[in-house]
Parts: sequence; structure tokens; C-alpha cells
Amino acid sequence: MVPLHFSHFQSLLLFALIISLAFGTLGRRKPIERVKYAAWSFAMFVLVGIALGWLMYPFSK
Amino acid sequence: MFEENTGSPAAGAGSEQRREQSGASTAESSAGTSGVQSNEAVAREPENHGGEVPSAARAVAVALAGWLLPGLGHALLKMWGRALAIFLTVGFLVYLGAGMRGNVFEPGGEDAFARLGYMADAGTGSFYFVARAMEVSGSDVSHAVGDYGTRFLATAGVLNLLAALHAYEAARGRKA
Repeated sequence: MVPLHFSHFQSLLLFALIISLAFGTLGRRKPIERVKYAAWSFAMFVLVGIALGWLMYPFSK
Repeated sequence: MFEENTGSPAAGAGSEQRREQSGASTAESSAGTSGVQSNEAVAREPENHGGEVPSAARAVAVALAGWLLPGLGHALLKMWGRALAIFLTVGFLVYLGAGMRGNVFEPGGEDAFARLGYMADAGTGSFYFVARAMEVSGSDVSHAVGDYGTRFLATAGVLNLLAALHAYEAARGRKA
């Protein structure tokens, strides 16, 4: 198969999106609750990922 | 064996569910004429996804099926939406992980990291062999993308194990 190439941020977004959808589907019963939970998980994945990236930034030099 | 979820309290779903149902009934009766409270009590009622008295053996079979083929456990319980979501999620993660040339660990790893990695990858069940078949040119973790691919594959396995556990709990009538 053709190798896939993603940047760090694209990988983060993909990972956050897929896992959030799974969490929303498994974790909640009502459709609206699933959407809310998935959106919340996605936002947290992305925000915490970016925050951790900036926290580690000083150690990259 | 795996009947449609009736949602009927009388269907019986183990002592734990009966305890919750009796709690819900108490809440309902104490609510009196308050429609809001009685609605909340009904909403908290667990669903019975077996439609019959749950047995541990059946629940284990459901979990095993869910592990072997992602989503099959929920499909056997007629939870179609979740079955499809799990199948697509795990499948897409495996596809991405293999496409990013992540490391698909083999059994008998030399160190704890390799053994743990294999356990996580094996969590995808039959999709483990799909990942092996897709990676015809082998893994490449010399780049960040390959390393991400390794994590995607491991996440797919752990997520499938979580889904299998969820199917087990649903088959026991504990949660839905």
C-alpha cells in the first residue's frame, strides 16, 4: 500500500477525531449526548496535546 | 440466544440490574406526582441487551467475538450503531497505523516494550493479521510518522479490548 505521510499536527487531529468518536459512541447512549461528549473529548485531546507540546518545547533545544 | 433489547424490567438481567431497578422504582414512587423526577428514574434504568437472564458464559462469548472481529460483540447484542462505530474506528486506526508504517509487534518480543506492544496489537483480534498483511515493506520508525503509526496500531488494539469489555458488561445487563 502507499505509505501515508502526516505532520505531527495532522496526526494529532486524526487521532483525536477517531478516538473521540469512539468514546462518544461507547460512553453515551443518547445521540445528542454522544455528539457533546465526542466534541468535548476532541477539544480536550487537541488542547491538552498542544499544551503538552509547548510545555516540552524548552527541552527540545 | 441474542435477542433484541426489550428494555423490559421484567426481562431480568441479573441481581445488579434488579437492584438498580428496585432503586429506580423506589425513586419513582417517592417522586409521587412529580413527572420530572419519575422521568429521571426511568432514564437511569439500565437496558437489558440480552432479553433473558444473562449468563457469564454467553457474556464471555460475546466479549470473545468482539475481540476477534471488532464490533461483532455489539452486533450479537443488536447494538448496531456501536458495532459499526467500533468496526470502522478500529479498522481505520489499523489502516492508518499500517499505512504510516508503524511497528506491528510479533510474539516473543525481546523486551517488555515489545511484549506489551504485541499485547496491544493483538487486541485488534483478526485485524492484527490485516495490519501484518498491509505492511508489505515492513515498519519504519526512523521517522515520526512511523512512530505515530505504532501508537495508532496499539490504540486500535486497546480500544477494541475496551469495546469487548463494554460488550461483556452489556451482555451481563450491567450497562449499555
